This record gives sequence, structure tokens and C-alpha cells, in this order.
Amino acid sequence: MSDFSLNVREEGDIVIIETTGYLNNVGGEKVSEACYEKMDSGKKHFLLNLEKSKVVNSIGVSILIEIIEKLQDVDGKLGYYNLAPIVEKTFNIMGLTKYSTVYYSEAEGLEGMA
Amino acid sequence: MVEVSASDQLDYYLASLDELGEVLIDAEKPESVGKGILRLTLGTVMASKGAIFLYHRTKEKLSVLASQGLQERKPFSPPKKLIDQSGKHRHDHIKLDKIPPWITGELKKCITESAMKILVPLFHKDHMLGVLCVGKKFMDEVFTATDLKILEIIANHLTKALYNYELIQDVEEKQTQLNLKLLELETLFDISVAISSVLDMDKLGEEILWRSVGILNASRGMMLIPKENSPILEPVNKFNWEETSALISKRLSIFKKIEEEKIGIILTPNDKNTLQKKLGEDNIIIAPLQAKDNILGYMLLCNKETRHGVEAFNQTDLDLLSALCNQGAVALDNARLFKDITQAKQFNESILGSIATGVITLDPLGEIDSINQAGLGILKMNMAEIIGNHYMYLFEKDEEIIELIQRAEIKNATHSEINMSFLTVSEEAVVNVSAAPRIDPDGDVQGLVIAIEDITDVSKVKNTFKRYVSKQVVDELLDDDAKLNLGGEEREVTILFSDIRGFTSMSENMKPEKVVSTLNEYFSDMIDIVFKHNGTLDKIIGDELMIVYGAPISADDDTNRAVKTAVEMQEQITRLNKNRKKRKEAPIMVGIGINRGIVVSGNIGSRDMMDYTVIGDAVNLGARLCSAASPGEILVSPTVWKETKKQFSYKELEPIKVKGKKIKVGVYRIENVS
Repeated sequence: MSDFSLNVREEGDIVIIETTGYLNNVGGEKVSEACYEKMDSGKKHFLLNLEKSKVVNSIGVSILIEIIEKLQDVDGKLGYYNLAPIVEKTFNIMGLTKYSTVYYSEAEGLEGMA
Repeated sequence: MVEVSASDQLDYYLASLDELGEVLIDAEKPESVGKGILRLTLGTVMASKGAIFLYHRTKEKLSVLASQGLQERKPFSPPKKLIDQSGKHRHDHIKLDKIPPWITGELKKCITESAMKILVPLFHKDHMLGVLCVGKKFMDEVFTATDLKILEIIANHLTKALYNYELIQDVEEKQTQLNLKLLELETLFDISVAISSVLDMDKLGEEILWRSVGILNASRGMMLIPKENSPILEPVNKFNWEETSALISKRLSIFKKIEEEKIGIILTPNDKNTLQKKLGEDNIIIAPLQAKDNILGYMLLCNKETRHGVEAFNQTDLDLLSALCNQGAVALDNARLFKDITQAKQFNESILGSIATGVITLDPLGEIDSINQAGLGILKMNMAEIIGNHYMYLFEKDEEIIELIQRAEIKNATHSEINMSFLTVSEEAVVNVSAAPRIDPDGDVQGLVIAIEDITDVSKVKNTFKRYVSKQVVDELLDDDAKLNLGGEEREVTILFSDIRGFTSMSENMKPEKVVSTLNEYFSDMIDIVFKHNGTLDKIIGDELMIVYGAPISADDDTNRAVKTAVEMQEQITRLNKNRKKRKEAPIMVGIGINRGIVVSGNIGSRDMMDYTVIGDAVNLGARLCSAASPGEILVSPTVWKETKKQFSYKELEPIKVKGKKIKVGVYRIENVS
């Protein structure tokens, strides 16, 4: 596994960001850049597909927290799906799941955020 | 100027204090509190400019929490004497009409820029939390004693609020730290669970590497395992690492050090180690994957990430990585052992599955716990009928086999028997059986291994063949199937024919049973000699014998043995006739002809009646020579003479005319036959 990349698309009002690679400082910054760019254009609901990001470190988590804080200021939401068990566990322990939602599929995520 | 009554002034201050309560209760963040209180303060004392500066004790910086009429600025270092000097006014205020000399630097700039008039230090006990600055009053009015008192009251509330937020922030930071510790513990726990659940070495290695990288905030990492019979450390698992051409040897000083001291190592930019150059990385942490005293490999991680770049790993990181690696090494060792055992089991099973001998294992109670495919074939049963049964039940029809197994059980030694009837399968079945104790690594007997070799077919072949060829030839054929070609082929053989002269007329005067007993006695003696010289009894036609040397198995001395057979046959007939004379019986006189030549050999006949035989001109010539031989004579063809003239004494006779041949055939007679 190497190099972080992401794919951004929209499903109605919801922005879906699919990541590939290590969600660390570099990966987290790329995700936040993508989110803030979309927020500038008025988007408030974001779904992260982390299927291809099997490892997330605490720096990646702190960047996600920043995104959540910024979204809270505009009544926005962040959700995730296709989380590896280790990633879901990390999110739970680091308290992310109190302020954002884990879904088990894109369809569930789209329905939950609508 | 509008006159304001003392009562209105009091109401206004009370309303401000009431609002202050609401700000403190409702605001969620220090920023909101700061903004709310600053707005309220300035409104209460009728000032247009002001600021609340927050002091970060750990960073030793002042930052603007909230401001009005002040340009934005980054956190800055406070004047050196700020804490000491302002501490003297912790329950008071400082008038800034004349800026005290200890207020310097950026703070002084702020005060000057916004023409601040009052500074109220925000102290909680001995800790400075910040300062509140208030600009000039509306219309340059003078701050009244009540204004100043109300400022101090608000500042006290602000101090409490900030202190509470500091506490909350501290708790939140500690909670984050605890969460990280919990994550570390959970990771260690997960790896300990993996020890008992993940037995795939590659998957396990990947799991340990990924978790180590994630938990230590490393940017990338790899797991290095020593290559067998080589000093190279192979990166078997990599994370966030492109293909590296760097050849990493365990002879590098750093790995030698780890191996000697059995502890991990941290490399920082100051170290300038060879490994750092090879990998192009400054910040490296390495921990050995150590199971007992054996180093299975190394975990190597690079670059501890922070929000502001990378930094060197520290001792806490090394302790955590070592703990992860110790757990991981046990898991890897288990997985390696499991892999070895699985491979050994598969190896044993493939051997047992490929051999023709049936192998049955018995547990200490005598119950069957495994049987190979050959065993199932020999017993003609399926697995379910056999597994779990006691051997005495399985072999209940074969007492001899049960006794053999019991002897092995009692004496804890291998016992074998060959050619045992095997009624468990059928009356015709014949087996070789061996029973040996199963001994575990501690030397304890854990049951028995029974090997059953089905020799029913071999036995049948032997019984069938032994009528035609000697036991030695049968054994040779059974040992090497390649020698047995019964399908039909051209080959050079030596053919011996013998015939009792005048037997037809002799038998006319004999009772039938006497004819049979005479022939049996004669054939028995003759065939013994044939088999002694490994001849193949091709046919018995009346009183005639046809013997072949060189089929189905060829040898260099086929002809020599054929001639020896003939000579010994005549010698035996002489002895036989002496006995017959004693019994007052007429002598038997035999003529023998031998030829060597190319024949076609194979199974010849109909589908119902097929015999292995040889046919061809060479056979016919042998028969003609036999016909031409006088009683007691052995006649051979030129091919036979040529091969054996050095071993036997011959006399060349007149060539004879043979049916089917235009040219007469040379004939040689063996001399000095008794």
C-alpha cells in the first residue's frame, strides 16, 4: 500500500469521497482540502468511503475531527462506510463516532444523511 | 450630556451582571465566552475598544481570545516581567495612562494601537490565565470607581470561566491521551487475539505491520525477515513503501547491535547511520521480532508524523513498538510452527496416500484413528465404517492378525508376518502384516501403526507362474514389471524340446494310471532341472516338453543354461532308469533338440484360452532337432553350438533336411553324456 489518492463525486447534496491509501497527515490533509473546497461551494454533507484505507493514524483522526468541527459550524454532517474493523475501532476509541456516523454501505449512508 | 441617575446606573450594572451570567452559562467555547464577555464589559463601562489576551502556559505565548478595535495578530511572547508585575495586581487593575516600563514588546504595541486605558490581570491563584484590556471610555469620560469595581467583578468571572475551560481543555487533552493509550492497549490485545486466531504468516505479518505503523503515527514501515542461508533481510511486508532497491543485510552494525543487546533502536537525523543512507530516511525506529531468544525478524518504521511535519521517535514509541513486536513474534512463531506442522502433515499424508501399503493407526485404546487410501482399498470399506472401531472388531475373522497386534502391544515392539490369509476381506486374500508401536516425541507409546500389504494378486501370479517358471524368475518378474512384456514382441530365445522315444507304444502295454504316474515322475524330475536353470516351461504336449530360455526374461547365458538343462536331464534319466530297472520297469529313453533364434513371444491364443508362448521358425527347428535325436542324444543347431562350444564337447553330424527348409541344417551332438 502506498501513495494516497482520492476520488470525489456527488450524489445529490451529498459529497462522496473515496480514499485509497494511508489516512495519515498527508492523506488527512487531502481529504480536508477536498471537503473544504466543497464546503465553499455550499456542500454540507460528506460521506467517506474508506474501503481502500485500511490504516488510519491519530493525525488522520485529528484532521477528521477538524472537518467535523467545521461542518458543525454550518450544520453539516460527516459519515463513513466500508470501514475496516481496525479503523472502526480506532474511530470509536478516539471518540469520532460521537460526532459522526459509521454506515455499512453507501446506500445506507445516502439514506442516513438525506 | 444626558444625566443618568444613580438608580439607573445601578439597574444598568445589574442588567450587565445578569447578562454576564447568561454568557457564562450559554457559551460553549472559550472564544464565545471571550467575545460575549468583552462585548458586555465594553458595553458596561461604555468603552469602544478592548481585548482579552489568553496566556498559554506551556507555549508561553499570549494570544488574542477576543478583541474589538484591535488588528488581528498571531500569538506572541509576553513581556518577561508581565507575570511577576501583573501578579502584584491580581485582584486589582492597572491604569495605562502611563504604560508601566515592564509592559514591552507586542503587548505594548497592542495597548498603544488601541489606546487601552485599563489592564486587568486574570489570575487564578498563582497562575496567570490572561489579561483584559479596556480602551478609553466613551467621550473620554473618566472611569468611575464603580466602573473599575464592575470591571474587576467581570474579570473575576472571566478568570473563573477561563480556568474552567482550561480545566476542561486539560481533561479533554488527557482524555485524548487516554484514548491513545487505550488504542495502544487494544492494539496489543488484538495482536494477542491474533496469536490464537491468525495462522497465515503473511496475513499476520501484514496485520502487525499495519497496526504498528498506525499506532506509532509512522509514515511507512516494513517487516524484515532473514532470508534462509543468506545475510539478506527480506522486506516480506511493506506499508506505504514503494519497491526499494536497497539491499539490507543483517551484517549492518545496527542489526548486529540489536541482535547482541536484544533491544530495539531509534535513529535520529544526528546518527548518520548506513541504514539511514540506504533507505533515505533520517527518523527510523527498529524493534526485533523476538520469540524466546530467537530473532525472527525486525520491524522497521520511519518518520513519526505530527500535524507540523515529522519528528524523531522517542523511548515511549520504542517501548510500545517492542511490546507490539514481542506479541507479534509469538504470533509469528506460532504461525510458523503451524505452517511447519501442516506441511509435515501434508507430506506424511501424501506419502501415506501414495503408497500401496495400507496404513492403519490405533490410539492407545486400540481404536482406529486413521487409515490411508490404500488401507481403504485393501479392506474394501469406507472411512466411516472403520474410524473409531476397535481393531478386534475390524479383524474379528482374522485371529492370527489380532494375535500379531496383541504381541506388538504387549512387547512394545514391531511384529510382522507374511503370507497371512485375510478373511476380513475374502478367503482368497493374502496379506503381509506388520504392527509397530506409535511413539511420541517423549518416547511414550501412543498406540500402534499397522501396515497391511495386499499380496493376493502377487500370490495368484506366483501360484500361476510357478507352474511354468522357477520361483526366482517369478520373483524377478514381480520385482520389476518392466522385464515383463507379455504383449508380443520379437526376441532371441533358446528353445529346448525333449521327447520320450517310443512312449506311445510303451504306454499301450501300461495301465492308464501307470502311464500317468510314470509321466508325473518323469516330468517332476525334468521340471525340477528346468527350474533349477531358470527355464520357462512353455508346454507339455503328451510326453513332450517345450522349454524356453530368454522369455519372458532374457539373460546372456540363456543358451548355456539350456544345454546344461539338457545334459542334466539325460543324467537324471539315467538315474531314473536305474530305479525303474529295480522296479522292473522298462527304461525311458529321451531325445533332446536345442535351437536358438528369433521368435515372436507373447500371450497367444483365444480370449478364453490364452498362454504365454513363443512361435516361429526357430521353434520349429528346435522341434525338428528333437525329432532327429536318437534316444539319449542331445542335438543342437549351429547357433547353439557356436555359443556353447567352449563349455561343452560336440561332434558335428551330417546336416539334416528339415521340413520347410531348402538347405540342410547343420547338426551337432553333445558328447560324453552319461
